[in-house]
Amino acid sequence: MLDFLQAVSDGVLFGATYALIGIGFTLVFGVMHKINMAYAAASIGAAYSGLLLLEVMAGAPPAAVFACAFLAGGLLGWVVYLACFHFIPLSHPLATLMSTVGMLLLIDEVVVHATDGMPQNYPAMFDDVMLHAGEFTLRGDLLLVFGVCVAAMACLLALLYRTRLGLATRAVSQQPIAAQLCGIQVAQVNAITFVITGLLGGLAGAMIGASVGTLSPLLSGPLTVKGLVVTVIGGLGSIPGAIVAGLLVGGFENVFQLYRGVTERDLYVMLLLFAFLVFRPGGIFAPRGGRD
Amino acid sequence: MKKLALAVALALAAGGTLAQEKTVRISGFGAKTGPVRSFGINSEAAMLAAADLINKGGGVRLADGSKARIVVDFYDDACNAEQGISVIRRIAGTDALVAIGPTCSNVAEPLFGILQKKVDDPGDTGLQFPVFTDVAIKIGLARISEWAFRNVPNEMTMYSSLFYWLRQKYPDLKTVWGGVEEDFAHSRTTWHVVMKDRATANNFQVLGESKWLLADTNFATQVREMKKANADIIAISAHPFSMCGALKEMQRQGVKPKVLVGLTSSSSLETLQGCAKQAQGMIIPTSFAPVNKEAKFAAEQTAKFKGTADLHSMAAWENMFILKQVMESERISGDKSQIQADRRKIRDGLAKLKVTKGLLGDTKRTDDREADKPYLFVQARGNEWVVLHNPL
Repeated sequence: MLDFLQAVSDGVLFGATYALIGIGFTLVFGVMHKINMAYAAASIGAAYSGLLLLEVMAGAPPAAVFACAFLAGGLLGWVVYLACFHFIPLSHPLATLMSTVGMLLLIDEVVVHATDGMPQNYPAMFDDVMLHAGEFTLRGDLLLVFGVCVAAMACLLALLYRTRLGLATRAVSQQPIAAQLCGIQVAQVNAITFVITGLLGGLAGAMIGASVGTLSPLLSGPLTVKGLVVTVIGGLGSIPGAIVAGLLVGGFENVFQLYRGVTERDLYVMLLLFAFLVFRPGGIFAPRGGRD
Repeated sequence: MKKLALAVALALAAGGTLAQEKTVRISGFGAKTGPVRSFGINSEAAMLAAADLINKGGGVRLADGSKARIVVDFYDDACNAEQGISVIRRIAGTDALVAIGPTCSNVAEPLFGILQKKVDDPGDTGLQFPVFTDVAIKIGLARISEWAFRNVPNEMTMYSSLFYWLRQKYPDLKTVWGGVEEDFAHSRTTWHVVMKDRATANNFQVLGESKWLLADTNFATQVREMKKANADIIAISAHPFSMCGALKEMQRQGVKPKVLVGLTSSSSLETLQGCAKQAQGMIIPTSFAPVNKEAKFAAEQTAKFKGTADLHSMAAWENMFILKQVMESERISGDKSQIQADRRKIRDGLAKLKVTKGLLGDTKRTDDREADKPYLFVQARGNEWVVLHNPL
């Protein structure tokens, strides 16, 4: 029983990073009805960019590296928007999908060329802290990651539901034509959405780097898959869904690994996805459809 | 005006000499994109550095007594089997005499499969092109084809020696636990076929193993298994990224084995860059360390071409000199119209070799076209790998 609880707690804490990646996918889908396949790669790319701070300022605190990754994420989000969406006709869904796949490969290869593919040590906070309750343990750094992710999600929800920008974003998400008729600059809202998701992605990348302790270009492929799984299970376009699904996938993944081993783990996660697609295709929190 | 005419005449003469200069092409191939890009970069640098040295020394002597300059080119297979096969077919379509590569065992295995299995077999239409591998290390691959040769360390011998040494040096140690990257051909085979077997053969009790995947990010469950097992020795058969993740989790959970053993390929800069602090004390058998004049010189020359010397890239360096020796002893013509005959001579020459000169000493060649290379044990200390023991 202790092993089970331990696996669930480890998985759920780490699942917070999946939730952040899932939010990025779902927010773009919610607003533009497009999938940004480059999101996880951009997040990892942003985390790498954070390391540039250590190049210019050796011994910079981890929090500064995370902040640098956060900002780089926003910048990368904007670049992805410009390259993959702004100049490409949105009426051709495959065109934007494929351009983001191309961007995923491009970002990955830029990282590989910049680092020669070598894993990079990533700074962490509280990585030497371990909370004990008998034999049950909780990693201090994962608690921090969880806390940061929860705070980021809270900020995002506040932005979406408590600000004029959020109102505009939700308007574009629900009825883009009506939003345009009301004077909302749809292209501007789309670009801002990418910057916001990019900022979240940068944070997610940094948190992943911090929790693993090492960064590698190997991460972006599996994270893209996890992000998509989380988005589908949570419900395309649903932010609360992405949060719940991220934690759920993280927990399930660890439990499957405990009982069935690492070679079968992903198989069961995919079966979980399949079960959702068959029995609840809209995901946990299927959003209501708009009128457009 | 006279000076100008003289300069033009000299330039034309020099151009004429260059035009007549003979060349022999050796093609390298390996991963230059993707997460193992550093392997390709280092191999290419070592090949270029060796070729530069050979060319400065006059080049390769051909059958007619003339000299030819070595030309090196390098192809990217991205550690992908399909690309690797496509690359070797492309190389075979050029005037390359032989290829050095690939980086990954999952490329080498199918690639050797498209080569002719037995020479002179008229029923086998496989590619008749010699490949001399420097990096792909999974055991026993060269026996797939008689056109395949390898200059990679014999892990069975090295780990046998390492566990024997551990048994002698630490007689109180009894148990071993493995950490294995289950989805990578080399690391998986090294644990299941080599390390486990050699530990048992040296009277260690293997208690079990924890498995993870190459791109895994969470090692908590696996490290808890390690902690419960409380083995004296933990042997990690994984490449630097996942090994560093596992080592960092071991540090968090306070798992401190008496001895930490690593995978041959991890005695590299990558490990130190990813987790030098956590890798402290790790012991790895390797076929290269800059311990003598020749090895240091090779490392310096490779650095000039922006490469790092390690057990893999230095095998590429050695291969270049072995190939020079074979080309000269087999009296290749260097004539492009005789390319297939020259390739066959190189294959036969490589097959004949019983001993080759390596950077750490003589390498014995085996009947199944593999190498039995000298090796030593290195240990991570500070920010470098230092020689811990030389068993030979």
